[in-house]
Amino acid sequence: MSEKFEPVILGFLCNWCAYAGGDLAGVSRLQYPPNMRAVRVMCTGMVHPDLVLEAFNRGADGVLVMG
Amino acid sequence: MIEIRVGQLADRLGVHRNTVTNWIRSGKLRATATVGKKYLIEKEALLQFCREQGIPDIVMQTVSEFSSVPSFGNAHTPSSPFSHTPNQEVTMSAKPIGSVLVVGGGIAGMQATLDLANSGYYVHMVEKSAGIGGVMSQLDKTFPTNDCAM
Amino acid sequence: MVEVSGDVGNFTVKVKKNPRYIEMDKCIACGLCAQKCPRKVDDEFNMGLNQRKSAFIKYGQSVPLKYAIDGQSCIYLTRGKCKACEKFCPTSAINFEEKEQIVTLNVGAVILAPGFKPFDPSGFDFYGYGKIRDVVTSLEYERLLSSSGPCMGHLVRPSDRQEPRRIAWIQCVGSRNTNRCDNGYCSSVCCMYAIKEALVTAEHTSGGGLDQAIFYMDIRSHGKEFDRFYEGAKAKGVRFVRARPHSIDPGQDNHGVTLRYTTEDGRMQVEDFDMAVLSIGMEPSADSQGLAGIFNLELDHYRFAKTTDFAPVSTTRPGVFVAGAFQAPKAIPRAVAEASTAACEAAVALMPSRGELTQQKTYPAERSVSADEVRIGVFVCSCGINIAGIVNVDEVTKYARTLPHVVLAENNLFSCSADTQELMAKKISEHRLNRVVIAACTPRTHEPLFQDTLMVSALNPYLVEMANIRNQNSWVHQREPERATAKAKDQVRMAVAKAGLSVPIQRSKVNVVPKALVIGGGMAGMHAALSLADQDFQTVLLEKSDRLGGNGWRVNTTDRGLAVRPYLESVIERVEKHPKIKVLKNAELKTAVGSVGSFVSEVRVDGEERAVTYGVAVIATGGKESRPEEYLYDEDSRVMTHLEFDAVMRDNPAALKKAQSVVFIQCVGSRDERRPYCSRVCCTHSVKAAIALKELNSQMNIYVLNRDIRTYGEREDLYRKARDLGVIFIRYDVDRKPVVRREGDDLAVDVFDPILQMPVSIAADHLVLAAAIEPNVTKDLVELYKCAANADGFLNEAHPKLRPVDMAVDGLFVAGLCNYPKPLNETIAQAKAAAARAATILSQTEMTLDAIKSFVTEKCDGCALCLDVCPYRALQLEDYQGDDSRTHRRITTDPALCKGCGLCAATCPKGGVYVHGFTLDQLKAQVAAALEAA
Repeated sequence: MSEKFEPVILGFLCNWCAYAGGDLAGVSRLQYPPNMRAVRVMCTGMVHPDLVLEAFNRGADGVLVMG
Repeated sequence: MIEIRVGQLADRLGVHRNTVTNWIRSGKLRATATVGKKYLIEKEALLQFCREQGIPDIVMQTVSEFSSVPSFGNAHTPSSPFSHTPNQEVTMSAKPIGSVLVVGGGIAGMQATLDLANSGYYVHMVEKSAGIGGVMSQLDKTFPTNDCAM
Repeated sequence: MVEVSGDVGNFTVKVKKNPRYIEMDKCIACGLCAQKCPRKVDDEFNMGLNQRKSAFIKYGQSVPLKYAIDGQSCIYLTRGKCKACEKFCPTSAINFEEKEQIVTLNVGAVILAPGFKPFDPSGFDFYGYGKIRDVVTSLEYERLLSSSGPCMGHLVRPSDRQEPRRIAWIQCVGSRNTNRCDNGYCSSVCCMYAIKEALVTAEHTSGGGLDQAIFYMDIRSHGKEFDRFYEGAKAKGVRFVRARPHSIDPGQDNHGVTLRYTTEDGRMQVEDFDMAVLSIGMEPSADSQGLAGIFNLELDHYRFAKTTDFAPVSTTRPGVFVAGAFQAPKAIPRAVAEASTAACEAAVALMPSRGELTQQKTYPAERSVSADEVRIGVFVCSCGINIAGIVNVDEVTKYARTLPHVVLAENNLFSCSADTQELMAKKISEHRLNRVVIAACTPRTHEPLFQDTLMVSALNPYLVEMANIRNQNSWVHQREPERATAKAKDQVRMAVAKAGLSVPIQRSKVNVVPKALVIGGGMAGMHAALSLADQDFQTVLLEKSDRLGGNGWRVNTTDRGLAVRPYLESVIERVEKHPKIKVLKNAELKTAVGSVGSFVSEVRVDGEERAVTYGVAVIATGGKESRPEEYLYDEDSRVMTHLEFDAVMRDNPAALKKAQSVVFIQCVGSRDERRPYCSRVCCTHSVKAAIALKELNSQMNIYVLNRDIRTYGEREDLYRKARDLGVIFIRYDVDRKPVVRREGDDLAVDVFDPILQMPVSIAADHLVLAAAIEPNVTKDLVELYKCAANADGFLNEAHPKLRPVDMAVDGLFVAGLCNYPKPLNETIAQAKAAAARAATILSQTEMTLDAIKSFVTEKCDGCALCLDVCPYRALQLEDYQGDDSRTHRRITTDPALCKGCGLCAATCPKGGVYVHGFTLDQLKAQVAAALEAA
């Protein structure tokens, strides 16, 4: 494989902590690779197992549930 | 020398009138009866008494301020020592203005402002710098949770 | 502030408004003025550790987020030339013609919260501040640690920008010092912030070889959970050295510092550190002195506002109240609580005029969108250069136009500015948009603003969706503009996918029962009840015993020496006679159902049950002095607790006058394994009692055996007075506690004296034990309300710093000893604060709840799996008659209790329950959209 592997990551971020942390990373200008796409949820408790499976089904290399 | 009615003194000290009567009867508070159910009390004696009872200095001053003007009528009654409540405090001719000035936009000023605005009062906030937040905004983290202060 | 006239209810205040030179309504905070400004000055926000421009914002998250020009340093304003900012400002907001204005305000009450001035240690030549570069103040150190500070959170020392490994903190700089400055008081906050800074430093620095040493006199961790924090720091290796270094010298090659100090046992030590932090105290600011002059207030001998223990936020001028550090040095939680106290006092004073000057914003009637086809408008924000500098916003806008249902996509320079809001409203009606996507910053701060824009445009506020292409894109991918642009497209696609499925959601409303329940008839409960009733709210006060007053009957004086009993009697009388208060004695709370705005409880009074309805409840169930199990308590009548001692002092002082020797032992049952917390009030109580005894008989020998003396704030004066009177303070270690024994008929106390370095034996006529304060049992209440208590049984506040009187359950507030041990003035302040917080709910006739709540679909078959997982008890099972006239079961949700966490939705195997705004379909659509490109 000549091309560098770039994983596609889907993140479920709790509005009150992980999503807020994501915002703070922005305010603090902390740099990280743009491989994750974030779905904001009001609590990671609402992440239905189907959603995780759906993500893998559609080709995600990893799923992050952060809360 | 202060000339005062039992009820008036009781109001001012925030106690029941019977309490004042008992003080005078038992001799704890030295006072001489005069006309019109009023009592004459030595200013020093009252101050001394108040100090013994642990009544704050402010009150002693408000009582002693009235020494020369014994007309406590419906004009302006000073506050009770213990709390500032409308029914005890001031008999105002006009309704008070429903707004409050908060001086300072730090954490304390902000909280006072929010509470008042949320309970139906218009608030003017005055802050000397170009933004609110005060010293707390300069802190990195806060204990004991180590939350970000911002 | 310029001038004040008038009285409570009607003050006229003149305020001088200094020019900003930038018009607030035009400024869009793009930052160009600061970028172009050629003048650099020290940044006071970062304590002068770096520089800012003359055109500036105070800090990144400033409110208002509007720039200002500092007239003191601006080149144009001082020398008449430049105006670079004016040339570049895209909105012509710069206005050098602005003049200072005098604004006249009419207000009914005033709250002064001018804060404090951090102590300036430049005058202490022996600490070398200002001369030795690696000596900084604690506030400078906070900025060094902060990720928004001058070194972006990568801690370096000033002299060579190397990461320091060995750091010393020096406590009590500008506090507890009458020798070099006149600040005899304890600033109350420095011990804790030093410990915090030491711990945060350990998190920041990697690798071994760290040494954090705190040089102290007494560690004052007297707040809730503070002692655990302190013990935790010790366990993590922070070194605590009981010594006051007498000088700091520059280290080798002028890097770092050399510290000289004497240990407790008299050995002279010299130690090198990479840097030293001076834990500076608080001082009343010069501004507050000026305010006191303008308002004609009395100040105390330390120039803090004069208040009394019974009216802790009332100044000497009626209608003028004080909050924060101007009242006394204090940490954030008390400043926040007492700000609410001040709000309460102002509200009580102005009660007849409540609601007269405030107004509600009104919106046009919502347009129905259900029958219409989905028409999405996308607004891509440049945020000045914040987004557009990295992400190609034109490309993103063009791309948005290709997405399904999108009928309009536009780019705005600043989507949040007032004129753009108007423009958006216009576009919404012009293009009959019925869903809106904003690609800009974070919904956490800006969603309410855009929801408002939709409401103004007659759309339901929940039809807006945001794509966070700033905080979670352009700001964090600054080096990869292309991939950032690709990510922004994905984010917009995800938001459009979700918006297409969004439906209008109604915010539900609950009627507020304008009544309060106060549980507990001690000082806290009575003050809360009085403050609520004085604001014209009907209040029911429950007391489990047959008389009001609680511990108030057993304490002699407040910290400042006011007699408690006459005051207590006056409070009880006011409570019992107040037309708005109903006192229920011998009462017990049996049940509690409902939620904020509308609770119902059954109360048993004298054996009879009765129902009480209320909108809010204040819990003030109090605490008590614990019964010691050690030091011959219960075995020898000469051994007594504080409150027992108070009773003797009150009823039979002659019995004590003859004593030759009285010993106090501190921390009896506190700060040990059983109760790993500080009871906060006992040090002051013992010191006060020792003074009272010395005043009875100056020849009496008095010993106070202690671990740390925690006479915080101005209570330090009492500690100093006690020492001046000859009271002897001997420190003991927790693993070497004093031993009390009987020697014939006499009591003897053995203790190891760390100064003498030898054991001493003291004969005692009386032994007074500073027994721990423990909360009354709160288990039942915790069960009834589903509220929380900490490991020690104290009821928890919603947030230890910012919501110190609210409980996590909405509509419940906490005050007094049941929350944490505290002296009477703090109890009164907290009770009144609880009343103020409660009034924010009771003053509304109905409460609007957030619409993000769970809802039940027709697929629910009543399997009740969700019931067990709901943490808020918001779900209930109900029977209902189906169309087939058979009885079925299903779930119902209580929107007042539901917090929209969605645990139910994730648990439900059949789509029977969802959360509004986050339905499974919507989330799935986002997942699909995110991975479309993959």
